[in-house]
Amino acid sequence: MGLLDIKIMTDKIIETFDLSKIYQLKGRKKEIRALDDVNISINKGDIFGFLGPNGAGKTTMIQILTTILQPTSGYALIDGYNILKKPKKAKSKVSLMLESDMLYYRITAYDNLKFFCKIYNVSNYDQKIRDMTKAFGLEKWLNQYVEKFSSGMKMKLALLRTLLLDRDIMFLDEPTLGLDVKSKNFIIEILRDVKKTIFLTSHDMGVVEKLCNRVAFINNGKILKIGTKEDIQQLKQTEVKINLDIHFEKRKLKSELKNQDFINEIIDSKNGFLLELKGRDNYKDLLSILVKYDITGINEQKESLEESFLKII
Amino acid sequence: MISSKTIKKNLFQIYALTEKNIKLNLRFKYQVIISYITPILSILMPLIILEQFFQFSERFNFSVWNENNYLVFQFMAYQVLLLKRVIQEFPTQLRIEKFWKTLPIIIIAPFNRFNLLLGIFFTQLILISIPFIIFSILCYIYYPVSFLTVIFIIIIFFLIALIFSGIGLLIGIFAISNENVWKALSFIVSLIFWVSCVTYPFDIFPEFIQQIINLNPLYYIFDLLRLAWIYNDVLLTITLLSQNFIILIAFSIILPCLGVVIFNLIYKKYGIVGY
Repeated sequence: MGLLDIKIMTDKIIETFDLSKIYQLKGRKKEIRALDDVNISINKGDIFGFLGPNGAGKTTMIQILTTILQPTSGYALIDGYNILKKPKKAKSKVSLMLESDMLYYRITAYDNLKFFCKIYNVSNYDQKIRDMTKAFGLEKWLNQYVEKFSSGMKMKLALLRTLLLDRDIMFLDEPTLGLDVKSKNFIIEILRDVKKTIFLTSHDMGVVEKLCNRVAFINNGKILKIGTKEDIQQLKQTEVKINLDIHFEKRKLKSELKNQDFINEIIDSKNGFLLELKGRDNYKDLLSILVKYDITGINEQKESLEESFLKII
Repeated sequence: MISSKTIKKNLFQIYALTEKNIKLNLRFKYQVIISYITPILSILMPLIILEQFFQFSERFNFSVWNENNYLVFQFMAYQVLLLKRVIQEFPTQLRIEKFWKTLPIIIIAPFNRFNLLLGIFFTQLILISIPFIIFSILCYIYYPVSFLTVIFIIIIFFLIALIFSGIGLLIGIFAISNENVWKALSFIVSLIFWVSCVTYPFDIFPEFIQQIINLNPLYYIFDLLRLAWIYNDVLLTITLLSQNFIILIAFSIILPCLGVVIFNLIYKKYGIVGY
């Protein structure tokens, strides 16, 4: 029996060691490294945000950690169990919610939940289902076919299922995707109160900010940065991009703005300029200049989380 | 040593899979009813041909099959074709799971792949039970046999269903990992069925096809099934058709195990591909 065949005693609930996944592209000799020597460690009870643009390797990472996919090289420990040597033990620790709702549309919500509780050996499931559907506001829909549910209700039901399975680690891939603000806040509240380790992917800065205590950013399969919640807060203090529309005196305004040290960059656009302020505090200075001109439009260009991350890295 | 807790847990999971599959199947009931009728169309033409054949040449027979028992031959052919649903249902079910993306949640659940096999196996046995019993009664009315023979026939059918489950799981894994291979394998299974004498007696085929049929294990299994009914003597059947009996037992053990092993290997290597 090798060292990796047994449970490794560690305070980390998830640890990866040079985890790589390579996909061969069809019709080409080229290959894609979906994960490239990824090393992360997550403590028990962490709500860990895993962020990155589309195709960065987020879902591949979740699929490998939940043993759905095999890594090309490297390995991971789930609560001390090697996913390659002890996949059954590792699996027994996780519950999963991928991007889609992963539900049987042709049977009722209750039948869906009952089925998953049974195959995951959840005891006293009937009462648990009734209690949780009540908490999720789905009790009236319990005996309806899932095909009649709205997208938000399906996502709620999928999350409810993940919670019902009562595993130590919850892997959630975009759990708030396509949800309205009310549903999103509801899910954030629920997840905040869950006393479990959560591995979460999301594009939503608000969700990540409200929920996660640690964040990793991945791009092209490589971990670019791992940070704490404070690092996320720091992102808010970076530059501000503003679209400015002006009909007259465009050149005059441009030359005046060029002389201001609180402006990083001015790019011509169709109806005016795209400005980059050094910070949000410089808004006041900018407005004192703009009042002299006939400005027809002004709006702030919000950066995505990925853009912000890419900038600071 | 497997504990009673483990057995109970596995039975519970098989029951859950069966219950869920039945509910999914019965959501659109006409599909199920039509699947009962389709095999009747497959036995209708051979039934007409044999009926006409025996009418014109009363003294003629194909091996033990004659004008007095050819209906049993065809009724049992219907039952076998009905049972063939087990093979077809594995790729269908797994493909549905693939597109609903429910399969990963089942795959990471703490349960043995045999439970997956048995879940679909029992689902189909339950779904086909009504037409199956009706045709068994028809066989009995037309050619009565002893209670022991009925039990023996039920056991043979059960083992055939297990063989079909193994084949089904083998094809099913390719329905989620490589649909080209799935279609190719489905065609091969249809070909094997065609040369298994399921609807036509062996003697009706030309000699070169008979040589191919002789290589087909399904032929021996179906032959045992029908001759067991006609001989109406369990001991005599086992003695006379010991080779057939061994093939049945061997395949009913090997194919489900092979199905599970191949399923695990292919899933591990390729995963779910194509959505």
